[in-house]
Amino acid sequence: MTAMRKSFVHQPPSVEADATAAARMGLADLSLRPRTGFKGPGTMAWLAGQGLVVGEAANIAYPQSSGLLVAKLAPTEALILGGIDGNEATIDTLDRTWSIDTAAGCYALPRRDTHVWLRVTGSAAPVMFSKICAVDLRAAKFANHTIAQTSVARLNAIVVRDDLGATPAFHLLADSASADYLWRCLIDAMAEFDGAPIDENALHRLL
Amino acid sequence: MTCPLNGPRNISEFVYGGEVVTMPDPARSTDAEWADYVFLEENPAGVVREWWCHAPTSFWFIAERDTVRDEILRTYPAGEVFKDRIDFP
Repeated sequence: MTAMRKSFVHQPPSVEADATAAARMGLADLSLRPRTGFKGPGTMAWLAGQGLVVGEAANIAYPQSSGLLVAKLAPTEALILGGIDGNEATIDTLDRTWSIDTAAGCYALPRRDTHVWLRVTGSAAPVMFSKICAVDLRAAKFANHTIAQTSVARLNAIVVRDDLGATPAFHLLADSASADYLWRCLIDAMAEFDGAPIDENALHRLL
Repeated sequence: MTCPLNGPRNISEFVYGGEVVTMPDPARSTDAEWADYVFLEENPAGVVREWWCHAPTSFWFIAERDTVRDEILRTYPAGEVFKDRIDFP
């Protein structure tokens, strides 16, 4: 149990072992990374004004040339995740540019204080998810950059498939108050696939 | 049940929100009419129109359900029925 509780400040045994786990079945905590969100009828127009390119379809994530990933959760709602290299400045700029007075019909929906952000990686990830999530996330059924807003381990969660190179990988966001519970559920579900917590540096090795 | 935004999902992801009813004019209705609107449900045997919410997305929509055959006939966004914004004085 002690080892599980330590996992939020995971220290990898070695970079090599971490990279192997990431390709097979890995879990990284990205909660300290920048992310934000916006909601309201004017949201898509405002985001376009900020140079973000977002398509028509909802429940699809749109990668940006800047490295950001814009997850369109509804026709009027977007969740914006920093890329693998952080994009701290880009997300900060969005947050600072937004103002209730100038962004008509677009309201800030900050995600840093509300959502835990985990990265589930590896060839076994879709099968592992089948134990805790009713939506079929296998590669043939759930295309890259598709979003499922559903129940994961009985928590309301956002799942975004965003592969790292050829390795299946998912963003998993849920209520931060249940982060410890969710982490331990995932560690338990991953165990039969030799899953392990990984350092976020291991994600780079998959690209 | 099929959520109009998210597609088919387990019924455990949905929350019931009551029958879809027309709101009487709050300024002109009697107390009895208003109490009926707020508290009382028809609960008919047959096809009903109900509010449902997909909890993971907080998305409210309308479902038509046959309570006799326990079948969901159709689900659609509330925008199909409620097209105008209502402002209260």
